[in-house]
Amino acid sequence: MSLVSGPGRGGMTDLPEELRLFVDKHVSYIQSLDTRKDELEYWLTEHLRLNGLYWGLTALHLLGHPDALPRHEVVDFVLSCMHESGGFGAAPGHDAHMLYTVSGVQILATLDAFDDLEARVKSGRQRIGQYIADLQDPESGTFAGDEWQEKDTRFLYGALNALSLLGLLHLVNVDKAVEHVQSCANFDGGYGTSPGAESHAGQVFTCLGALTITGRLDLVDKDKLGAWLSERQLKNGGLNGRPEKKEDVCYSWWVLSSLAMLNKVHWIDGKKLASFILHCQDPELGGFADRPGDMVDVFHTVFGIAGLSLLKFPGLAEVDPVYCMPRVVTKRCLGQ
Amino acid sequence: MPKYYHDDPRWADIDALPQDDGGPYPLAAIAYTDEYSEAMSYLRAVMARNEMSERVLELTEHIIDMNPAHYTVWLYRAKVLSATNSDLSREIAWLNPTALRHLKNYQIWHHRQTIIDKLDSHVGEADFIATMLEQDAKNYHVWSYRQWLVKRFALFPGKGGADGEWDGEKELKWTEGMIEADVRNNSAWNHRWFVVLGGREGETVSDDFIKREIDYAQAAIRKAPQNQSSWNYLRGIVRHAKLPVSALKDFALEFATLESSDQVHSCHALDLLAEIYAAEENTWDEAAKAFELLATKYDPVRAQYWKYRQGLLRQGGVVA
Repeated sequence: MSLVSGPGRGGMTDLPEELRLFVDKHVSYIQSLDTRKDELEYWLTEHLRLNGLYWGLTALHLLGHPDALPRHEVVDFVLSCMHESGGFGAAPGHDAHMLYTVSGVQILATLDAFDDLEARVKSGRQRIGQYIADLQDPESGTFAGDEWQEKDTRFLYGALNALSLLGLLHLVNVDKAVEHVQSCANFDGGYGTSPGAESHAGQVFTCLGALTITGRLDLVDKDKLGAWLSERQLKNGGLNGRPEKKEDVCYSWWVLSSLAMLNKVHWIDGKKLASFILHCQDPELGGFADRPGDMVDVFHTVFGIAGLSLLKFPGLAEVDPVYCMPRVVTKRCLGQ
Repeated sequence: MPKYYHDDPRWADIDALPQDDGGPYPLAAIAYTDEYSEAMSYLRAVMARNEMSERVLELTEHIIDMNPAHYTVWLYRAKVLSATNSDLSREIAWLNPTALRHLKNYQIWHHRQTIIDKLDSHVGEADFIATMLEQDAKNYHVWSYRQWLVKRFALFPGKGGADGEWDGEKELKWTEGMIEADVRNNSAWNHRWFVVLGGREGETVSDDFIKREIDYAQAAIRKAPQNQSSWNYLRGIVRHAKLPVSALKDFALEFATLESSDQVHSCHALDLLAEIYAAEENTWDEAAKAFELLATKYDPVRAQYWKYRQGLLRQGGVVA
């Protein structure tokens, strides 16, 4: 899955009055991504390959085209990124890191391929779980991304996301992790990457996601955080990630999914947001951009579509706001 | 000028390891792609034999210049730096322009942090940060890094820094300068909170101290009454000091009254007034009116939120 931007641009063609979602265009856009190996950007974005595959696959599932990528080849590729340690790299030959390990688990979960994993890698699930568990800092409860020891609430959320899908949450100290999330809460009601760091919608998503997975939303001041999140909507309907920043389609996901976890999606103007997101798609070549006029890419494509799914846009599969995966998949994995 | 290794005698002992991507696609379509893929094939080869040497530092430098987001390269470079006992101030000198060229890159900050930690000196870092913030005054990585420096070198006001060049008082002054340059810079407000309160958890602060921060935030609000950041800060301080929100009533009335809806200059002030009115049962009508104005006139995008808060009045509840 390539992360090459373009070829299309969002919102350059006049959209018809009645806004629609160009499902077939987006499907063929995602299918075409891996055929662009003659472009430099394909190679320069190799460090995101596994994430890109998760983004593309999730978008296809939400669009109702789960079989648009060949399952066997996808599973082969994912497993070729797996290390002895149980961690995954972005692509074969890349070091293992939490972010790719989470994408690897999410892809396998989406394809219902945990059995394929066990058949091909001895104790595969357990090994992945142990790799993740070993990245927890026993003192602070947070998680590092890899042996380089960078720490960020993104990694903490990713760890709980993957472990819960694997049914292995018991491998880590959940209470300590929750304590750490608490310590990242700020005076304005939001959360940052680490204690004291500025509130940011992306980090709010990771912290709320972690608290939802661990069943500790009782620790959140829901009205205050909901107010901060709903303040992210701008007059043009788009959402920003911090006060006084520009709107961007990816925040349609991070802000809206957070509001969904708090049961407060209705606190913003959903119609205006849906219209903003639809204006960011390229109706001819497919894909979504961060805002109208910019190049499309698969990252903004999945978050635009997932945002529309949370807004109950007709024709889309239901997305799980905690995992950014199809709800049928998380239900199956979590035994709900 | 592209740089190649196959005709460089210093690399003659290395058999490059081209990528086996399993596909029939030629990599030679673009000259620049050639350069990148060749450098990567030499990196694979040196990593395979775990070579830690000066020339590997040069090779990783070359690759990072082309693609700074390839984090395996950073990780390997950090290992080589440590194994070869390299001069770390030279590494910082190289990192400065590299960071400027790649403003959105993540890896560079963690790398810098580990180097500065080992060097045990922040000399030059304030200047470097100033240059970075000139490019983007809200760069999240830069502000997070600054927080790390403040903590690492104890640059909190009243605590005495490691040396006179940069200490807590100077840090507070610098933060003021950043807010003055753009009173809507939320990152700068967050940093002020960190320097003043956030980084010193558990310590009690004096009344004078609280008063100074309230005055500071109020002066900033008078400059830009519709600014979320300064209002958030003001309310955060008041809550931190456990003062009743009604202490801010006169201040809020400077920007909004219910008597004439044309005199609302800040929906944050109106929001605050609504909260003050909602706290006392005998002013619930005023609170309801304020919520109504917010939902219909001043902030209709969030109409449902304001209606929710209005609805809490009927239930006798109050949103803090």
